[in-house]
Amino acid sequence: MQPVTLTINRQEVSGHPGMTILELARESGINIPTICHHAKLAPIGACRFCLVENEQNGALLASCVTPIAPGMIINTESPRVLEHRKMILKLILASHPDSCLVCDKGNQCQLRLLAADLGIGLIELDRIPQPAVTEEVNPFIVRDMSKCILCARCIRACQELVIEGALDYFGRGFKAKPATLNNFPLEYSECTFCGTCVALCPTGALMEKEALYRGAIGDAVQTTCPYCGCGCSISLEIKDNQVARVKPAFEEQDNQEALCVKGSYGCDFIHSPKRLTKPLIKVNGDFQEASWEEALAVVAGAFNKIKKEHGADSLAVLGSANCTNEENYLLQMFARCVLGTNNIDNGSSLYYNATLRAFSESFGFPGITHSLKDLEQAEVILLIGASPEASAPLVNYLIKRAVKLRGAKLIVIDPRRTKLTFFADCWLQPKVGTDLALLNSLAKVIIEENLIDHEFVARKTDKFQLLAEILGNYPLEMGEAVTGVGVEQIRQAARLYAAAGKAAIIYGTGITQQALGVESVKALINLTLLTGNIWRKGGGLHALQRDCNAQGACDMGALPDYLPGYQHVGEAEARNIFETRWDVILPSTPGAGALEIIRQSREGKIKGLYITGENPLAGFPQAALVKEALATLEFLVVQDLFLTETAKLAKVVLPAAGFAEKEGTFTNLEGKVQVIRKAIDPVGESMPDWEIILQLAGAMGKPLPFSSLQQVMDEIRELVPLYRNDRETNAPEEEDLWDTRFDYKLPLKTFPGFSLAEYAPPAGAPDDSYPYILLAETSLYRSGSGVRSTNSRRLSKYSSSFKLRINEVDAQKMGLSSGDQVRVVSPDGQLQAAVEITGSLPEGTVALPRSVPEHPVTGLFSSLPEAAAKTSARKTCYVRIERS
Amino acid sequence: MNKEKDVQIDWTRLHEIIAEYGDEKWSLIPMLQKIQNEFGYIPPQAIPVIADKLKLFPSEVQGVISFYAQLYTEPRGKKTVRVCRGTACHVRGGKTILKLVKQHLGIDEGETTDDLEYTLETVACIGVCALAPSMVIDQHVHGRMNPKKVGQLFKQKGEQHEST
Repeated sequence: MQPVTLTINRQEVSGHPGMTILELARESGINIPTICHHAKLAPIGACRFCLVENEQNGALLASCVTPIAPGMIINTESPRVLEHRKMILKLILASHPDSCLVCDKGNQCQLRLLAADLGIGLIELDRIPQPAVTEEVNPFIVRDMSKCILCARCIRACQELVIEGALDYFGRGFKAKPATLNNFPLEYSECTFCGTCVALCPTGALMEKEALYRGAIGDAVQTTCPYCGCGCSISLEIKDNQVARVKPAFEEQDNQEALCVKGSYGCDFIHSPKRLTKPLIKVNGDFQEASWEEALAVVAGAFNKIKKEHGADSLAVLGSANCTNEENYLLQMFARCVLGTNNIDNGSSLYYNATLRAFSESFGFPGITHSLKDLEQAEVILLIGASPEASAPLVNYLIKRAVKLRGAKLIVIDPRRTKLTFFADCWLQPKVGTDLALLNSLAKVIIEENLIDHEFVARKTDKFQLLAEILGNYPLEMGEAVTGVGVEQIRQAARLYAAAGKAAIIYGTGITQQALGVESVKALINLTLLTGNIWRKGGGLHALQRDCNAQGACDMGALPDYLPGYQHVGEAEARNIFETRWDVILPSTPGAGALEIIRQSREGKIKGLYITGENPLAGFPQAALVKEALATLEFLVVQDLFLTETAKLAKVVLPAAGFAEKEGTFTNLEGKVQVIRKAIDPVGESMPDWEIILQLAGAMGKPLPFSSLQQVMDEIRELVPLYRNDRETNAPEEEDLWDTRFDYKLPLKTFPGFSLAEYAPPAGAPDDSYPYILLAETSLYRSGSGVRSTNSRRLSKYSSSFKLRINEVDAQKMGLSSGDQVRVVSPDGQLQAAVEITGSLPEGTVALPRSVPEHPVTGLFSSLPEAAAKTSARKTCYVRIERS
Repeated sequence: MNKEKDVQIDWTRLHEIIAEYGDEKWSLIPMLQKIQNEFGYIPPQAIPVIADKLKLFPSEVQGVISFYAQLYTEPRGKKTVRVCRGTACHVRGGKTILKLVKQHLGIDEGETTDDLEYTLETVACIGVCALAPSMVIDQHVHGRMNPKKVGQLFKQKGEQHEST
């Protein structure tokens, strides 16, 4: 392409065709002031503030929307330009209130900064009457339309970045303003309170509500969001050692300025008055504050005593998918070197295990195949068993951007009508829990209609004949009978997926937490292998993770059977590396996983348990049994930010510092290692988990050989295969994660194998006493076991109710109306909830939100672990509904 | 402004109209016009259905409707009264005529009577200044208006009100 050469401010510059004058000017170091323009949004030329003069013909052009042309002679600050720019600003100010002194936007207001730059104070123009202020009752965002300057940044943010479409222009002329449908308050609209519009609003028209602190912000620290597995970069604005505000970190490319409500407004748990500030020791049934020395001495004494009396395997450690990589690394070292047991697991195993098992069996390594950025290249996206709109909002945005802005096709497999089914080209509604049968049917169609990537299958895969033979005898009609999805629809979806050059699969806990989780993940792997998508950029498999460091905790070996970097504890060679380094003999038999730890505690086999940052009482199946198990323990120590339900059962509670109070790294769901930076000092006497672990090891007489976090980081980089290169910050953009992962000397299989498991109906199929199937749904306003989201003032204020969603037909049958109190009874427990009638669930299916600690929906599930995945079905169970 | 008007929407017909169009974005305006032609206005409840069909955001559809002065989201009266507020009519008492019409109909500018008989609007000039002050009811021009004529024009309406 021929470069275009033109003159800007008497300086000859050249750019590529299609560039705007503004882009080229900024590239050439010439500043043109703008208001409505934002690098992440499509330019619309709304404010005209960026106008420049073309000296050839005297035309005034909006530089943000005018493409460059050869020979243009542009002046960005001619007297005419300056005069008009001033007038534009005066006109904007004529309909803007003079309340800068009391406006929370204060010195961050772009309008005010520009006025100051141009030397414009009070203006001589007649004022234009202001539209009324819109008062919101939600605790997140407040709108004051009298300050709106119609730059449409909020509208574009809503429609182009998060693709919610809650806002658009309403009315025309003087009456025009951004509004929701029917001009309702935000809480009655599609708004998800992601805060993107607030972050982009140049004035005080959109502002954060109920912020704890006011006034000018001192410092901003860029770190990583502690909620879901997406790992969005956030910027913590600091004032007086307090996190005053959270904003999207603008440098970060992947999250495109869009956070979700948890990232933007949920981090206020940091300053919750309920934070633990001192170690607690239980004396005669009551907690008493203690010093760190006392508390650690008690813990060390108890652990040493139990180990001496009952052996190392009577102790166990539960790590946290919310703690950093370094902390999980130290924790597994603590378990293996100090305690001498492999009884270590982390909370993510309850949903991530199926992926780990299936991937390691098929590919030879349990990791991620593609980066999220690759989704931008996908032509077809298949979404199954996942609600990214609640559990991984960034992925939700990426899917919607792909569909809405790029025209990618979306296949949604979900029994429920969700916001994403609106964007779907093909929506399959299988009966709850029959995904495996549906996936096998899809594979069958792909083979039968010869849609396979022959070359790939022949050269790179194994056991294709076996799969083809078994599926050959599998009638599609059976698939239809089991799943309730018509044969024609199955064919249509299979063709759509297989015909695409690049097709990505995204799946979540709807797959991994099923009874047939491992088998279902393998069925998904079959699809990617059949079509060769596993190798391509824009293809692959994306597993959604609920916790910020689920990937990292597993990578670091906080698992009962793997050392860091998925090196099996049974392999002498792998053990040897660590044994030489740590100068210990490592236990060689796999230890107990999370549920097994609970079971063995209940049986009295495990006597001492160290829990960091997990709340099994709210997150594990059968809360009653978990409580019994933890109460049976001789010694329980819990390390957390809050006095959780689990912590209340402990003998010693250690106050941990939150993500904003420490350094470290998280690994997000695509395997990207991201930095956590310290923004404020730890609250009270709390300490970062890594420091506590080191001190505890010291107190037990077996200090770990680290004196700083950097040393831990260095060792991880040296010993953990996946972390060997310097991927502390963002991986280079062109890097193909799949390829780089192959560079590591992992026991990778050259030929990923197909495998087939047939669908079997789950145990305890519905009978008359339990006629409904219950789905545990992830809520946007809650996370994990709900410890932090419940302690976020604004999140808990907005979503405090606990509601049973039920189809209108079912509700009518039972004579229920919205708000009625009911009891949801399963064979394993019961819960009280209020009824909410919905059209989005199929008949016979009801749904309860998870992550509400005071109503743990997991308590309804059976803890019977399924053999292969070692996790039980925690997504669905059969229930009956009784009036209460 | 937002008076509760007890209007039943013929959903079957609405879905029929929407189904007549393709799902391309540009179907929006013709679709809205057709709905307005048949229903007299665009029921706000129809916006999500239209948006769903065209894969647009409901707020986007509303944005388009609110942009065009000729598209309405509130039921309109059977007859539209347009009182002239041009200069010529103004100097001949157009302001008073408007005030009287408002009194007779019991509504303000831009509003519709509860019985859906009349919608009241003003226009800048209808081009018959010789007949000032003037007003138009549907396509019919009424010139040289005075209080008595206003009374006569809307008398029937008053009686109807009393009889019902």
